[in-house]
Amino acid sequence: MQRFIARRALHSLMAIWVMSLIVFSLVRVTGNPLDMMLPLEATPEDYERISKHWGLDQPLHTQYVIFISKAVRGDFGNSWKWPGHSAMGLVWQRLPATLELAGVALGISILIALPIGILSAVWKGSSWDTAAKIIALLGQSLPAFWLGIVLMWIFAVTLGWFPTSGRGGIEYIILPAITLGWFQVAAIMRLVRSSMLDVLDSEFVKLTRIKGLAEWKVVWKHCLRNAAIAPLTFFAIIAGVLMTGAVVTESVFSWPGTGLLVVDAVRARDFQVVQAVVIVFAGIFILTNLLVDILYAYLDPRIRY
Amino acid sequence: MRPRLVSPALVLLLVALLFGLGTAPMSGSAQEAKGQRLVFASAGFDESNRFWVVARPDHLQYDPFLETLLEVDPKTGEYTPRLAEKWSASPDFKEWTFILRKGVQFHFGYGPFTARDVIHSHSMMMRPEATATLAGFWRQVEEVKAINDHEVVFRFKRPSTVMPYAASRAGDLRIVSKVQWDKEGLEGFEKRPAGTGSYRYVGRQPGLSVSFERVDNHWKGEKPAFKELVFRLAREESTRLALLLSGEAHIADLPRELQKDALKRGMKIYSSSFPVDWMTVYLGGQYYMPGDPAFKPDVAWTKKSVRQALNMAINRKELLNTVFAGKGSMTYVTGWSEKSEGFNPEWQHRFDKMYGYDPAKAKALLKEAGYGPGQLKFKILAFTEPGESEGPQVAEALGIYYKDIGVATEIEVLDWAKVREMFRKKAIQCCIWPNIISWRPSEEWIRTSYYSKSPNHHYENEFVDKHYDALTKSVKPDERQRIARTIADHLFEEFADIPLFWFANEVVANPKVVAEWVYPGLAAGRSTHFHLVRPPAK
Amino acid sequence: MATVTARTLPWYSPPRVAQAMRQARRYPLVPLAMLTFLLVIPAVLATQVAPHDPLKGALAKRLKPPAWQQGGTIEHPLGTDKVGRDILSRIIHGARVSLVVSLVAIFVGGALGTTLGLMSGYFGGWVDALLMRLVDISLSLPTILLALVLVAAVGPSFGTVIGVLVVLLWARYARLVRGETLAIKERDFIARARVAGASHTRIMARYIFPNVVNSLIVLATLQVGYVILLESALSFLGAGLPRPTPAWGLMIADGRELIVTAWWVSMFPGLAIMLTVLALNLLGDWLRDHFDPKLRHV
Repeated sequence: MQRFIARRALHSLMAIWVMSLIVFSLVRVTGNPLDMMLPLEATPEDYERISKHWGLDQPLHTQYVIFISKAVRGDFGNSWKWPGHSAMGLVWQRLPATLELAGVALGISILIALPIGILSAVWKGSSWDTAAKIIALLGQSLPAFWLGIVLMWIFAVTLGWFPTSGRGGIEYIILPAITLGWFQVAAIMRLVRSSMLDVLDSEFVKLTRIKGLAEWKVVWKHCLRNAAIAPLTFFAIIAGVLMTGAVVTESVFSWPGTGLLVVDAVRARDFQVVQAVVIVFAGIFILTNLLVDILYAYLDPRIRY
Repeated sequence: MRPRLVSPALVLLLVALLFGLGTAPMSGSAQEAKGQRLVFASAGFDESNRFWVVARPDHLQYDPFLETLLEVDPKTGEYTPRLAEKWSASPDFKEWTFILRKGVQFHFGYGPFTARDVIHSHSMMMRPEATATLAGFWRQVEEVKAINDHEVVFRFKRPSTVMPYAASRAGDLRIVSKVQWDKEGLEGFEKRPAGTGSYRYVGRQPGLSVSFERVDNHWKGEKPAFKELVFRLAREESTRLALLLSGEAHIADLPRELQKDALKRGMKIYSSSFPVDWMTVYLGGQYYMPGDPAFKPDVAWTKKSVRQALNMAINRKELLNTVFAGKGSMTYVTGWSEKSEGFNPEWQHRFDKMYGYDPAKAKALLKEAGYGPGQLKFKILAFTEPGESEGPQVAEALGIYYKDIGVATEIEVLDWAKVREMFRKKAIQCCIWPNIISWRPSEEWIRTSYYSKSPNHHYENEFVDKHYDALTKSVKPDERQRIARTIADHLFEEFADIPLFWFANEVVANPKVVAEWVYPGLAAGRSTHFHLVRPPAK
Repeated sequence: MATVTARTLPWYSPPRVAQAMRQARRYPLVPLAMLTFLLVIPAVLATQVAPHDPLKGALAKRLKPPAWQQGGTIEHPLGTDKVGRDILSRIIHGARVSLVVSLVAIFVGGALGTTLGLMSGYFGGWVDALLMRLVDISLSLPTILLALVLVAAVGPSFGTVIGVLVVLLWARYARLVRGETLAIKERDFIARARVAGASHTRIMARYIFPNVVNSLIVLATLQVGYVILLESALSFLGAGLPRPTPAWGLMIADGRELIVTAWWVSMFPGLAIMLTVLALNLLGDWLRDHFDPKLRHV
């Protein structure tokens, strides 16, 4: 078991290292950040001066060595676009907002998907089941930003129930969370439904039915059990949601999270921040995967190949 | 059977949520003290208190609380006294003396304003990381000397006539406190910068807003009508419109398309007193300095008749009415407005004949130059910046006009930095591109775009270079006018590019909250002078 | 329940009708019909079906509302966009663009992923470990970043978008195929083939691959919808197809600031995406239910 953990941990570290290489080179392919940083009036002396100040005049491998030696200590340098802030500092500053959004989005989608999934499994094949499937499918078919803008227009401007954008109390998070979580409803619903179907068919349940236990009790007990097993797969969903959907949603609702941070940083060619965000996220994802793998291996010795 | 894992995921979820909610800022919403707070929804700016690295348009965030030596009059656009009472130049224009105002106090109790603060503020521009728009200009100052507590002299390496512009509200030399710097250093300054304006800095919510509050005893007696001023960042245009219509914001920076909708719902437009930005389509590859290897003679518009044809193919009136909702005035020569040195009123009379919409003539000119229908092909580059979304639309409109005269175009949407890199490296012979640039004095504009030795290469030749050199050495006003006009006339005759329109800065406001607001538009940040916003009389 | 209906009864009699309906339910009629009208016909016959040239506009006719609204004309049934181009024609041509982009991306990504997955599952060992780490890395590359960066470097083009999509897609195929290969390779007929002297390539191609194809088809069908949505998201962020391509995602992005004033510019392409993706998902679900229920976690 320990060898397994050690091997996996080593692999994960390697993966993170390769990510850093990829990000470092990709980001530098986009061009010269000085063209974004300097005003139109800048003279050639200005270009030289700023290039030197930020270490961009060094050859690439030197830059990489400097970068990686600081990065392992958590120092991703100072941001160019947000002067005075360190790249890592910006990421930590914005991360809570994105986590909050992703968390609430996931919560809302579970809230919707769980009952629909369960009922859809219990009344399998009925028109309710089909209707539920279609609702879920609709969720997967709508472009997120379009949904966000429409929701904002209907509920925030026309009806005035919620504020249009920004971050504050709980009323600010509802619309963005719905926009972000909508897509997950189908996936979660399907997961819940199939797990439920599995269990409803199992021997144990048949036994409880024969014994005469009330139907709703059967369903309720197993509802809990499914909620316990399925979540390990949620990790992947959370990570996916964080990285992809959040950017678009944060854009529409001006939600000050890391998604928006990355877009701004890429546009401004702020290498330091882009590197920090990507590596932090990749790190989270890879480490999460590692934890999940270890957890599964702990639970199921067959998996330790 | 698997042990019941009480959802490690749900636990993690809960932790993430608590972490997130715990760090959420206070609900700054709700109509608190109504009538006390003014919220401006902006397209965004680089958030930082380090004014020496921030570009001029983003100085919007300093306008309420950090002042400059000279003011820009909101109605006349003239440079008037502000923190400096009087200013003068030496006969050779290499030394500028400023007599400073007495009795001005910095915020938060950092003491009176003196010459030392001017020297300190200028020294910020000398820092290695300074990338402000006029940082290059400020670094040409050899020495800033304090004659006494209220008199300071700037000495330049070369004669400078644009000092009043640079030292005014249109420039970026923000006066900050030396006492604060000595006491608290960069960190303290960044946390709570002390200025001298009629608003003082309260704080920022990164990615969201920056807020200010009214000062009670401003040195000029300025008393803004609103106790609190908030600049809200919202990059999406529809979000800004939503903020305005829902009452969360009282003024919003909106693109022309959405202005119509806001007007329909009772909002009002507040335009700057002067045109601020102009749009021109630049033609790449016009490197006419003798022996320049980057010059490619097979580029179609190196022929004057082709340049004229490209101008005459465009229906400027229709373009203005459709894409810009009719809000703009003609640009006759790129970069020159009526306020510019060297402006020639003759251009207006001759413009229609030379540049006016005439697709038949355009086709004829092209044929003459050897380009029959379908034989000329090039790329139109477009990019968008927050707050300037019309670039791609104009590019597409151009594509349609050019299709009508038998010219095939391909539109490529890039980011600004890429386009800039191309014209810096003289690698843009393939393409034309529309761009919106804000007004600056003629000498600055010529140096930036037409002078062959600047990093940007648009249209350059010996004629322009020679006259530019003369302009930099000249200090007499009428001589300068003459030289500047010579250069501008040359650009006019030669169809150096495709000038389009001048635009004023237009913001949309709720008339229930904003009844009056006069601002020049020429000050750094475009939307400025918030202390002049007056609510309707009760 | 077997149908014991004599063929002698007339076709409109209830038992025959019921039997026909039961048989029809075996085929995914609704999604297939939707797809034919939304995707296949427009994509193949775009130039014949579209009433106008999707690239030609007239500034004087910009932002005309759909025909049934005040100010609209029957000439432009769904209205016009910011530069006066007909929306209906652009949607029709957009079907072709969407289909081509997604099919190419899925084909290339799928081919790449399948090959790597086969190799990974079959050979195991360090090949497998390396590949799985590659999968991890590719799945942890943020979509947006990759697209934005590539577009910033290379400029928007079909190639860039397809490249980005391939990088994002191949991993799923690799994982799926690897899983299935692992399961299959222990089976008898593989061992027999190896004893008979078949080369590794032959085994992978002739024996393993055909058993994996079903799952691949299901995955691919499910992914077309996802790819179309992804392309629209990329266009929204400015990292999608180049103008003035009539791509659905680009059209929505173009109309986003007009969503209140000129809602039709974004609404109709949005509807087109929604209905198409819905149909594809329904089809994919049906395929999966009928061919390979193991894939429900995909």
